Amino acid sequence: MPAAPGTPEMQRREALKLLAASAALPLLSREALALFQEVHDQLPETAALKTLNPHQNATVIAISEGIIPQTKTPGAQAARVNEFIDVVLSDWCDEQDRNSFLKGLDDFDSRCRYLLGKNFVDCSAEEQTHFLQIADSEGPLTQARSAENELGGLQQEVFFAKIKQLTLIGYYTSEIGFEQELHKEIIPSRHAGCVSLEEEAAN
Amino acid sequence: MPAKVYDAIVVGSGITGGWAAKELSQKGLETLVLEAGRPINPETDYVEHVPPWEKRFRGMGDRKLLSVDQPVQRTCTGLDEWNSKFFVNDRENPYVTDPGKPFLWIRGRQVGGRSIIWGRQSYRWSDLDFEANLREGIAIDWPIRYQDIASWYDYVEDFAGISGQKEGLPQLPDGKFLPPMEMNCAELVVKDAVARHFPDERLMTIGRAAILTQRHNGRAACHYCGPCARGCITRSYFSSLNATLPVALATGKVTIRPHSVVHSVMFDPKTRKATGVRVIDGQTHEALEFQGRILFLCASALESTRLLFNSKTTEFSNGLANSSGEIGHNLMDHCMGGGANAMIPGNEDRVTLGNRPNGIYVPRFRNVKQKHPDFLRGYGFQGGGSREDWHRGMHMRGFGADFKHMLGQPGPWTFRFYGFGECLSNHENFIELDKEKVDAWGIPALKIHCQWRENERALLNDMSVTAAEMLSAAGAKDVEPFVEDNAPGLTIHEMGTARMGRDPKTSVLNSHNQAHDVKNLFITDGACMVSSSCVNPSLTYMALTARACDYAVDQMKKGEL
Repeated sequence: MPAAPGTPEMQRREALKLLAASAALPLLSREALALFQEVHDQLPETAALKTLNPHQNATVIAISEGIIPQTKTPGAQAARVNEFIDVVLSDWCDEQDRNSFLKGLDDFDSRCRYLLGKNFVDCSAEEQTHFLQIADSEGPLTQARSAENELGGLQQEVFFAKIKQLTLIGYYTSEIGFEQELHKEIIPSRHAGCVSLEEEAAN
Repeated sequence: MPAKVYDAIVVGSGITGGWAAKELSQKGLETLVLEAGRPINPETDYVEHVPPWEKRFRGMGDRKLLSVDQPVQRTCTGLDEWNSKFFVNDRENPYVTDPGKPFLWIRGRQVGGRSIIWGRQSYRWSDLDFEANLREGIAIDWPIRYQDIASWYDYVEDFAGISGQKEGLPQLPDGKFLPPMEMNCAELVVKDAVARHFPDERLMTIGRAAILTQRHNGRAACHYCGPCARGCITRSYFSSLNATLPVALATGKVTIRPHSVVHSVMFDPKTRKATGVRVIDGQTHEALEFQGRILFLCASALESTRLLFNSKTTEFSNGLANSSGEIGHNLMDHCMGGGANAMIPGNEDRVTLGNRPNGIYVPRFRNVKQKHPDFLRGYGFQGGGSREDWHRGMHMRGFGADFKHMLGQPGPWTFRFYGFGECLSNHENFIELDKEKVDAWGIPALKIHCQWRENERALLNDMSVTAAEMLSAAGAKDVEPFVEDNAPGLTIHEMGTARMGRDPKTSVLNSHNQAHDVKNLFITDGACMVSSSCVNPSLTYMALTARACDYAVDQMKKGEL
């Protein structure tokens, strides 16, 4: 069945045609890039959370936003990192990993109540930062190189290190993290082996 | 109505099957290409531009599904959440190994085969390779030398388009290159240090890759998006699907039949020729037969040999064309994974742009000019430099606005040398049919007996030493040598098991990849290899295939086949 004009599939095909026809590569036509952009903008709507309950979800949002906050660019909450973490817990982890993560989340909150007298989500921004400082300073971290062949996620033993890892993956692979924060492009508009940052900024 | 007889049947549609289809059809032969897997439509099946946020697990892969359907395939680092569909389902395609001696068999069954997911590194062999067995008394001599294949390297390079830098090395002959890709800042530092500290011995060059750096034969130049192994809609890297098959189809002489699992070769003892193949339809499981005047097996080394085992006759009770008894023996794969990692200080104000789908190459330098006391043959290094990115944050302390700002900036320059070593031919590394296990189509599965031996282990150890040496010479910090313990097969350069040779008593194929015992049967995939060299083999398979096609058609015209 032919794809209807204006549908994402049709736009993808149009974009591909432009790409294939672009003899002046590597400088791709703006139209091709724009068409890809439109396709990418039509993301599926949010699915309901499968694992995290409302309180757990609020806590995950608060912790991940504490790790990657909104600055000049949006942070983890805007990038919907909590939804990614829910997907990982629901469909990627085995039961043991999932339970261990949820227990870690629960312990995180209990400890916060013990130290500060309230749940993490009810703490002030200063209190949250103070508590994250404590959590971040604890436990061993895995070495980057030894973990290289792992597909990523949940390599760390300590809860805070795990949620940090998932927050970074969720954020920097989101459209917000990829485009607004890192200024990366799926199809680079330029390529070069070794250029100065200044030179890059000038272009 | 009598069954149709094709001029040629090609089994497999990957690197070599695509070349056979192109060459035979361009020479006028009506050619049937049988592919075990499904058809691939580049417009809908290629996924290189699908952004990570459209993938459910953001690149972490569908862990649960992989552990059930692809426990072997997932060990290949080239498999990801995007392209796992270009690797086989391990439940449908079982095989057996000896306890404690794993062999990782990485496969792709679809039109295009593994050429969709290959590494694209393309190097010529030299007489250092072709003469090695004879010189050292290992296995048997190659029936050809560099001069027999040089013009065929020219021929396939002209068509495929190989980017690279000429270096004038006798052990790694230059090809007909498109302009080389650029090195990045860390690579330029290391290249310079290697040249200064190891003159006349070692050098570092840019990878020679089957990726176009300028428009070539109607295919567009690379646009540096990066993940070639997910497909390439601009057809900028060489695969059968991107390059040879479209040209073959344009002749009007080629039929590609997907979902055609070849069961066995039919042999007529009176004419002593193959008459065609038996096929099981991949979807309906219907048994079919196809007839052809000549037969090219291009199914990948182990699959082509498996086919011969499954084509026993009264005369050939150990497998078709096996009067030598060598079929299944002398299995090789490159030993990979000795090397070193390091940080390269400097160039903090410089970056690389785009995602170059290529690395660097250090051509073999061991046993080239001077004999090494500890091992035979040698190895080459691949790898390269890069600046760390946000991933480094997963292994650091920190959080909040400063942490985010830091991760948004490029991190330190790192560098890795990763060695690929030659594997010696050994009769005891062999395959046979398992007596019990069958695949999803009822075809007997392989039993693979393979292990690294002393020479491969010595090469791996030496890689870690020389890699660290070069990085130290380049002023690198935190130099970490390593020796990985990778099972054979994982390099995906498996080869041998139906070797070429001059003597029918000790080899399966002659100098033109023609079976000594069955004159109209040709095997041009990795099965034909007599030794392994240390360079990536696909370019040599391409050249051998084109050469064998030329010979076969010439023999047909002379009435010899």
